Amino acid sequence: MTTKTIIEFRQVHKRYPTGQLALYNVNLTIRAGEMLFITGNSGAGKSTLLKLIALLENPSKGDVLIDGTPLSYLQARQIPNYRRRIGFIFQDPHLLYDRNVFDNVAMPLLISGMPPTDINRRVNAALDKVGLGKKTKSYPLMLSAGERQRVGIARAVVNRPTMILADEPTGNLDPELAQDIMHTFAQFNDIGVTVLIASHDHGLVERMQKRIIVLQRVEL
Amino acid sequence: MPEKKPLARSQPTNNLSRKFKVWVHHQQQAIDFSLKRLWFNPISAWITLIAIALALSLPTSMHVLVKNLQSLTHNNQSVPTISLFLKPKVTEQQANDLAELVKSQPEVLSTIVVTRDQALQDFKKIAGLADTLKTLGENPLPNIVVITPKMSDLGVTDADLQDFTKRLKTYKEVEDVQIDIEWIQRLRAILQIAERIVAVVAALLATTVLLVVGNTIRLDIENRKDEIRVTRLIGATNRYIRRPFLYGGLWLGLFGGFLSLLVVNIALLFLVDPVNKLSMLYGSDFNLGGIDLTTTLEVLAISASLGLIGAWLAVNRYLWESEIIND
Ligand SMILES: Nc1ncnc2c1ncn2[C@@H]1O[C@H](COP(=O)(O)OP(=O)(O)OP(=O)(O)O)[C@@H](O)[C@H]1O
Ligand SMILES: [Mg+2]
Repeated sequence: MTTKTIIEFRQVHKRYPTGQLALYNVNLTIRAGEMLFITGNSGAGKSTLLKLIALLENPSKGDVLIDGTPLSYLQARQIPNYRRRIGFIFQDPHLLYDRNVFDNVAMPLLISGMPPTDINRRVNAALDKVGLGKKTKSYPLMLSAGERQRVGIARAVVNRPTMILADEPTGNLDPELAQDIMHTFAQFNDIGVTVLIASHDHGLVERMQKRIIVLQRVEL
Repeated sequence: MPEKKPLARSQPTNNLSRKFKVWVHHQQQAIDFSLKRLWFNPISAWITLIAIALALSLPTSMHVLVKNLQSLTHNNQSVPTISLFLKPKVTEQQANDLAELVKSQPEVLSTIVVTRDQALQDFKKIAGLADTLKTLGENPLPNIVVITPKMSDLGVTDADLQDFTKRLKTYKEVEDVQIDIEWIQRLRAILQIAERIVAVVAALLATTVLLVVGNTIRLDIENRKDEIRVTRLIGATNRYIRRPFLYGGLWLGLFGGFLSLLVVNIALLFLVDPVNKLSMLYGSDFNLGGIDLTTTLEVLAISASLGLIGAWLAVNRYLWESEIIND
């Protein structure tokens, strides 16, 4: 296969300031346009791995390379622009509770300075995709946990990222909805977006028939 | 070493009009957002605005006061005069010649001759004096040359003034020089000091405004830490994060400036009537002036800048700290 590598982990170690070792010697190559699942027990380091890619954490040792360049080469002022390539779906969706669903999803577009008419169109499309087309005016506290998670998903995909990193995106969803959301991710993957999903849900993960990476908890 | 490639999405840097549009959208967003913040937090906004307005009112009103007093010392005021009482033998013609001569001095703006006949007529108009004058028989009054000096060329010290009068006394036609302008001289000297005091007060209260705005913005940042963190996670630049706070500071300064101008103007309205009555009693054409356009714009520009700087300091401090912690 000739597809180029988009993400590469080279002997990555991550030890948190608390002394907790979260990742130990991780080597991993992900090709552009790939869809892949990361599984493992709670505390195995799934979230940590995704955070390293989005530069929400830095490795203690080793390198994470994107398009062949170590992330440590990025200068501080380049980081925002890099993050806009990524749609990050947090395990806890990190919504803004004083803004309604529409405004939450619109944030990445506002940041990139898109004109209001385009924003309208994009946000509504993204919310339709996660089945929240009718809840645009609701506030996060008026939504169920699953709905909030879907707002987070809509916000992650609204800016058409080249990489989607999803941390337990279906954790709060019923099986049917979970299947739908996975399907949505697969659609993005079909148009060339690289998708990384951390998930506990073995049944769901296996049904998608994609590459699966299993992280083992570091026991010392 | 791996080959270096642009990790960040390459943006069409040549497309200036697109960049400009993005810039405009960002400004609009920030203006919109910051105004809404003010509107929906009326209590904290008003407290800050009133604090700013009060702090700015003091130097502004002092400045207006000093300016008004300064206008008294300007050339165009008819009040300050020097009168040359001429010797009794001096004729009207000689008086006119002397007036011409004096007028050519650089310190002199204009001269008029009041002949003894005119002076007598004036005196007769004053009730009760007419009878007294009759008993004198002959007109006892001398011809007078009234000088309106150029205050700006006269210098500010008493010595300057004495110098000038000494020179006037050397004319052989002059018997006596009477000065009405000593108080103006003193006033000028006092106003020079007053101007310094205004400057010091203004500097102190400007610092107050800076601190008040800075603190308000700091609290606002504190309240929106989560939001800042999230926007950062989804790719907001520091500039983007900073922008609405800067506008917030700008509005506080600008509106606070407006409010202080309102306060000072209202205070002046209360003063106008009594002051004008007073100056009429003294035969002065002095009028209490309000805040002119230049001063208005100056106050607004200064207060807006103070707001902007206060916000800038608060945001940068926060961004600097949060970058070190790097959550
Ligand atoms: N901010 C942090 N500070 C200190 N230790 C942390 C931090 N975040 C995670 N850890 C530790 O690192 C290890 C890996 O955590 P991580 O969140 O990556 O696990 P996970 O696989 O995502 O777990 P889960 O499935 O429960 O979400 C855990 O032992 C956790 O306690
Ligand atoms: Mg996790």
